Amino acid sequence: MKDLLTGKKLVLRVLFAVIALVLIMLFCSFIGTQSISFTKVIAGVNNQRNVNTDYEIFFHVRLPRIILAAIVGAALACSGVVFQGLLRNPLADPYILGISSGAGLGTIIAVISGFNWTFLGRSPIAVFAFSGAMVTVWLVWLIGKMTGKHHVTGLLLAGVVVNAFFSAMIMFLTSIAKSEQVHATIFWLMGNMSEEDFSVLWFGGGFVMAGIAGLFYISPQLNAISFGEEDAKSMGINVKGTQTIAFAIAAAITGIAVSFSGLIGFVGLIVPHTVRLIFGPDHRQLILLSCVFGSIFLVAADTLARVIVAPAQLPVGVVTAILGGPIFLILLIKYSRKVGWSGK
Amino acid sequence: MSLIKVDKLSFGYSSCEILEELSFELDSGNFLAIAGPNGAGKSTLLNLLSGALKPKSGSISIEDKAIGRYTNRQLCEKIAVVRQEFVPIYGFSVIETVLMARTAYYSRTGFERKIDREIAIEALEATDTLDFAERRLGQLSSGERQRVFIARALAQKTDILLLDEPTSFLDLRHQIEIYDLLKKMQLEKNKAILMVTHNINLASQYADVALILGADSSYNWGSTKEIFTSEQIEKVFGVKTVKCIIEEENFFLPLGKFAKINQKNKSNPNR
Amino acid sequence: MNKWCWLLLIVLCWSAAGYGIFGVGVKRGNDGISTKKEFERIVSLAPNITEILFALGLGEKVVGVPLYSEYPPETAEKLKVGTFWQPNIEAVIGAKPDLIVTLEIERQKYIAQRLRRIGYTNLTVDIEKVGDLFDAIKKIGDLTGKQIEADKLLSEIKGKLAKISSLGKNEEKLKVLYIVQRKPLRVAGRETFVNEIIELAGGENAIGPTIQKYPPIGSEQVLGSDVDVIIEPSMGQNDLEGLKIKAMEYWRGFENIPAVKNNRIYVIDDDTVSQLGPRLPEGVEAIARCLRAGSFEN
Repeated sequence: MKDLLTGKKLVLRVLFAVIALVLIMLFCSFIGTQSISFTKVIAGVNNQRNVNTDYEIFFHVRLPRIILAAIVGAALACSGVVFQGLLRNPLADPYILGISSGAGLGTIIAVISGFNWTFLGRSPIAVFAFSGAMVTVWLVWLIGKMTGKHHVTGLLLAGVVVNAFFSAMIMFLTSIAKSEQVHATIFWLMGNMSEEDFSVLWFGGGFVMAGIAGLFYISPQLNAISFGEEDAKSMGINVKGTQTIAFAIAAAITGIAVSFSGLIGFVGLIVPHTVRLIFGPDHRQLILLSCVFGSIFLVAADTLARVIVAPAQLPVGVVTAILGGPIFLILLIKYSRKVGWSGK
Repeated sequence: MSLIKVDKLSFGYSSCEILEELSFELDSGNFLAIAGPNGAGKSTLLNLLSGALKPKSGSISIEDKAIGRYTNRQLCEKIAVVRQEFVPIYGFSVIETVLMARTAYYSRTGFERKIDREIAIEALEATDTLDFAERRLGQLSSGERQRVFIARALAQKTDILLLDEPTSFLDLRHQIEIYDLLKKMQLEKNKAILMVTHNINLASQYADVALILGADSSYNWGSTKEIFTSEQIEKVFGVKTVKCIIEEENFFLPLGKFAKINQKNKSNPNR
Repeated sequence: MNKWCWLLLIVLCWSAAGYGIFGVGVKRGNDGISTKKEFERIVSLAPNITEILFALGLGEKVVGVPLYSEYPPETAEKLKVGTFWQPNIEAVIGAKPDLIVTLEIERQKYIAQRLRRIGYTNLTVDIEKVGDLFDAIKKIGDLTGKQIEADKLLSEIKGKLAKISSLGKNEEKLKVLYIVQRKPLRVAGRETFVNEIIELAGGENAIGPTIQKYPPIGSEQVLGSDVDVIIEPSMGQNDLEGLKIKAMEYWRGFENIPAVKNNRIYVIDDDTVSQLGPRLPEGVEAIARCLRAGSFEN
């Protein structure tokens, strides 16, 4: 049984992946429009306020942004895994249940209403985006439950309907808003990485990691559920409970990701499939490795976004699409035989 | 105390009644064949017995305790279900699939214990699927996949096995192998086997008890010898059969209009 | 203990540690108003701010300007710190500034905030209306110790504006449409500084108050506006003659409005009209010339 996943194998793989992530993060933090030198950065660690711009750029501009990219990448990839597994739909991504339009609507409302207060240092846009996302998911969940027996289909349909309705609302509000506000919203919705305070990163990162741990806890159940709810039930799984927890966690970490950096697509869709193609569909491995690979992917994408058209910056979402598509195609061709999807 | 006791079970949707006041009992070490025309409610009955559906009225008791009073986890120790073929989207391997039956027993870290692995291998051996334990489900033929799902049910190590047409995609050899396996489980491990089947002849060779469901929510149950008769078959299925007795066992051959034996039948007025 | 309880415990410890390390709330930034010192290295993140700095005599001290700055010519040699739409925070820091002057628009607010948190001195000015421009010049002058130069600049600008306004004082106000986009047709509305420039030049906006600052308008509104003069900006392109021909062709479709009937369609170099800066009088004059070319024959 050499192919079987064991605790030891998993720990090793995750460890290697994490080491790779850390190295990549360090490497990328030395890439940018300004060239900074490693030695100067180290020298600046002890001096607090000096004109050591290398250190300033590294510590205040690059590092926070890279850490943010890692957090958001992990959150999106993980929740992509969950939605694909629970909805049994390989095309599912974190935004499928209306999170994107909910967050967008929240953003527009924040911008139009002109609220200026901040919550724990987060701008009103971020707070409203998160709330919008959460409210939408809850709404979709509620509607889905009302459709009764065929829970999964009901959820998908509810998501489609809510998405359509909220998108229409967004377009309506956009058309009557003042142009500057519109720019701000659209810019935000395109997905962008910005530098955040370390305190914000600490808490956001902490919650995302806790969410990922929670999802790891229920991975065996998620495995069983991917065969069908009834099958899972007969194997003793608490299907409803698992689904609720999984959705709640996935929605929450997506909401956090969206409130940090707007809507960045493709990460939640491509990374889970890529990990699945290489390592297999076992959720225990899928969740942990996806989040590390999601981080790596987004850190790399963000670094490219920062330098490729310097001094301007591309929206990260553009880079994730351009990078992600071809990589995924190559992997698909190479590994799909090993996986043996139905119909092949 | 009977292992399974069904008392006046009724189920239906607002448009129609599927089961009406169905009652029967089954002890461990018994093989029950469930037969009936399409739409009679055989799969529905299995779903009710596994707890997936709730009865409109009446009760189902497992070991004298109403099925509703079992938690999911408790029930999975008593009943294992093999449903009709499900085509997997994601590429789990055979051994991973069978191991999933042991999920309820995993250790705190979320991994199977050594004994779970042993149970899984045992189940694979019993269903003759050990050879391709590491292949992905999607790479197997329907028949092989069917056996894997049966192995999964066996790995649950329950006293009751519910199977919904488990041999529908299997070739003759494997059909017989499955029947033999199930019989073995019944005789050696004292399991209660409830199997929905379309093959009356094989069923009557292996099952001891039979439950026949009619499309009009009628039913009848008893020993296979009692239930499987030409009259009963014609009444429920609407098909005439001719009974052959070989070594004191009854076999029923359906008489289709153009079946050769029927042509000969017509030309011989003495039959 | 249940693994979920463990998880909750760890989350609580993590949060507690977070509060311990970072404290509650956000540290305030530094907006430079209170410090009164000589600034030696100033970064500007908008072209009009750059113009103000140069006009106040601070040109030598400017060490960073946005890309595509053209005026004054000295800016060509200055370090570029990203575009006006997307300032590059790394380049800004790399210029080692001790003062960064930004506009109060959305996309600069963020970088301003960020720079303050890191500890840089940042002055934000709002230049949405002509009145704001005067305030901004004063503010910048105050902060950099150039109050005298600021006052001089202000009186110069106001003087020139008064002169141009007086030229058209006794004439009837012509109705003007300032076109910012052709497809779909958008014009400068009443809430914009372009509108103020039009009024300073002695004209009147042909359309009434609208919700949006730069509203898209339909053909109906164009016909109903009874516009006398149509002005289109060159948007950075050089061939004014060619642009005018194209504009005439476009507006031929509206042959019944006075502007087209009287052939009063103009294309101007909008460098001084598309942003508010010390060259405001030149912008007003450019518009005024379209309204009454005759008055400028002296």
